[in-house]
Amino acid sequence: MLLASLNASNELFSHLWATVLPEYITNTLLLALLVALLTLCFGVPAAALVSQTNLVMAKQLRWLLMLPLAMPAYLVAYLYTDLFDYAGPVQRSLRAWFGWQSPDDYYFFDIRTIGGAAIVIALVLFPYVYMLTRTAFEQQDRNLLRASRLLGCDQRQSFYQIALPLARPAIAVSLTLVVMETLADFATVQYFAVNTLTTAVYDTWLGYSDLAAANALASVLLLFILFVVVAEQRARAGQRHQSSRPNNQQQRKQLSIMQQLTASLFCWFLVLAGFLLPLVLLLIMVVDYADYSQFIALLSTGKNSIEIAFYSATIATIIALFLALFQRLHQSRSRKIPLQITSFGYAVPGTVLAMAMLATFGPIDHLINDLAKALDLKAPGLLLSGTVFAIVFAFVVRFSAIANGTINAGIGQIPKSLDFAPASLGVAMVPAIFRVHLPLLKSSILVAWLLVFVEAMKELPAVLLLRPFNFETLSTQVFQLISDERLEQGALGAVLIVLFGLLPIILLNRQKDSQ
Amino acid sequence: MTPLIKIKNLAVELQQKVILSQVNLSLAKGEILGLVGPSGCGKTTLLNTLAGFIDQNAGTITINTDAKAINISVDNMLPAEQRNIGMIFQDYALFPHLSVSDNIRFGLKKLAKTVQEKRCQELLNLLELADFAHRYPHQLSGGQQQRVAIARALAPQPSLLLLDEPFSNIDARLRHELMLEIRQLLKRLNMTAIFVTHNKDEVFTFADKIAVMDSGKVLQVGTPAEVCQQPNSWQVADFLQLGSWLPVALLSNGPAPSITSLLGNLEQQLINVGNVSLLDDSRHLQVLVQANAMSLSPTTSNNVIVEHISVTEQGYHYLLRSIIQDSPLAFRQLSFNSRELFALGTELAIKITAEHLLLYQAANETRNAE
Repeated sequence: MLLASLNASNELFSHLWATVLPEYITNTLLLALLVALLTLCFGVPAAALVSQTNLVMAKQLRWLLMLPLAMPAYLVAYLYTDLFDYAGPVQRSLRAWFGWQSPDDYYFFDIRTIGGAAIVIALVLFPYVYMLTRTAFEQQDRNLLRASRLLGCDQRQSFYQIALPLARPAIAVSLTLVVMETLADFATVQYFAVNTLTTAVYDTWLGYSDLAAANALASVLLLFILFVVVAEQRARAGQRHQSSRPNNQQQRKQLSIMQQLTASLFCWFLVLAGFLLPLVLLLIMVVDYADYSQFIALLSTGKNSIEIAFYSATIATIIALFLALFQRLHQSRSRKIPLQITSFGYAVPGTVLAMAMLATFGPIDHLINDLAKALDLKAPGLLLSGTVFAIVFAFVVRFSAIANGTINAGIGQIPKSLDFAPASLGVAMVPAIFRVHLPLLKSSILVAWLLVFVEAMKELPAVLLLRPFNFETLSTQVFQLISDERLEQGALGAVLIVLFGLLPIILLNRQKDSQ
Repeated sequence: MTPLIKIKNLAVELQQKVILSQVNLSLAKGEILGLVGPSGCGKTTLLNTLAGFIDQNAGTITINTDAKAINISVDNMLPAEQRNIGMIFQDYALFPHLSVSDNIRFGLKKLAKTVQEKRCQELLNLLELADFAHRYPHQLSGGQQQRVAIARALAPQPSLLLLDEPFSNIDARLRHELMLEIRQLLKRLNMTAIFVTHNKDEVFTFADKIAVMDSGKVLQVGTPAEVCQQPNSWQVADFLQLGSWLPVALLSNGPAPSITSLLGNLEQQLINVGNVSLLDDSRHLQVLVQANAMSLSPTTSNNVIVEHISVTEQGYHYLLRSIIQDSPLAFRQLSFNSRELFALGTELAIKITAEHLLLYQAANETRNAE
């Protein structure tokens, strides 16, 4: 992709630079900044309230606050636009109550702006910050907080001087995740007509058919991502000091009635705005517009989605298994490198990845066709770049990190001595893997497969760019309907996407609880 | 003289379980008290209750500082930060995001900057940490981390210092040296301290006074010598491993009771613990025998077999079992020291040579049966 971007026609690129590119870059960075700030304001207080105070229903809010992660931002964007724009029920009611006649009579915020996009994206991404920060708070060594109390801090001071600074690395890691996801977002900004680098890549390729310029734009985006990845690595390095003595026994701060009320309002607002309200709106649509033809359409797109997700999950899991076993059982010092390289894929936005696939497989396809022609065979067409192969390949690259992480964590649980025990009993390495490691990794393999499957079901931008003609998946169909302002006809599919999105959250919650 | 700290009838319940009951202790200024007892006996809970991390359910804690007396009771709970008590945690609990000097200064925020600086410098010098002032905790060795923990706890000049198993993370060779060093430091500062350990050697080296706890109660308080020479119950003697147990039976009761064992009759030598009422129920009686309070007896017939041998710097330490095993007086692990080497399985004739023996009733039947 980087090489292909060098071919960018100078003319078009300088034209882009002179006209829209600065605006796109500014928008991208501004959006990332706003989302980071908002998720910080949403996630950190929510984490503190749930883990450190006697908030009413804290037990339920603990997991409820994670649910917005299941909600694709573009769905929220569509539903809230419906709800809050001039013709929507909120403004209609306001006008009816106050007797306003035209938009000049009152001020109402416009959701289809960069600020609106930031709010919508932050509403579904804040759980990253919430989750990692809450875990950090809960895992802090309670003796550190006790020590600060004995040295004269009251509860409040000890939170600000010890708990919060200690959670800083976790907050930083979660913010980098949020920024990565924001930079990768395509559908929300596209729907809100906020021009960012992802929409620019898409438009340049599908609008102007200029692959080279699209590659150049994707490279710029990749540069930003690289920057965030480095920041993330550095933040993780600072996480050395999380303790093994969970802090669940600490005295929780007793909230006054007013504080209790404000805190509850705040947390429930996040749950409602980020998950429950959009879900209810979707369900209403399903009930209102359900018909048989919709169901039939859903079946065929659903089948496509499941097929792609199935292949991707299976391949990614097998690769992850190989890499993890290689790292574990191979003695060389460089054994960790393959795993680290594949883990980088997750950071790459789907749009960028799709461009890279086109840049890689396009020339190979041409080569194959030229070869076929030279051999007097029938040209096979776009064998790699124009088929499902490219999508599955892109998914495997993008989601390998998830499978790797899960399987690696599982293999970490197996005591090192079990690697050596089979040999001492006369069993060679390969049979030992089948008889010892694989059975022990069974649940990790299942979880890894499921997580990749779900992510692949949800992924949108890469499919949009790579799909063969007339090939629809659940997410592309929903997105298409959103673009055409008729989600009603695909609401059932949207609900399915949300339900699939809930799976990993339930899994994650279970794992947390069993720890 | 008024004690610096006085604990009266202290009781703690956690999750409807009695963890501490009827705890009474007092400590003069400058004294070091060692709390010992088996795991789960409540010693760490007592420390945490004193510090203010756990609320008491009954009783009072009074701390008499130079300026005023602090009274802590169920009606008058004082948050940890207002008790003027310092603590050294088992894992030191150093703030990982602060440098050594910032850790030490952490409790001094209310003082003027110059005073903070001066006191921090003094402690850095006192604990030989001056070269590490700008390092972070993870850059220090275990021993250095402990010094920082001590300096940090001493900085606000607490009236009482609590130490939770302070030496458990230090490797065995350094431990003794460090214990002496810290003891000298506390003595020099006339600091009152309570420390928790399950290691009896630590308590004898480090403490002026020891309190033996079991099942949430304090069984005995006294100087190490007092407790060692006159353990007031079977549990105290057993936990401190002051000797091994020889099962005995009562032949005649009275002011000079006579008792018998598989090592022969033990007559006038015997000293009762003062718990005469126990002897009304004469089951499971045992006497405490120190390993060097026995000798080989050429005149009597063999009565024990060598079960285990270990080498000590003074010769050999043996575990002996009685030849007769089907008697209620049979034993399996009697400690015996000798400079002579005997092979495993050798039969020996042993007699008691001690002038004083302590008689107890074993805490439960299973232990007695051992």
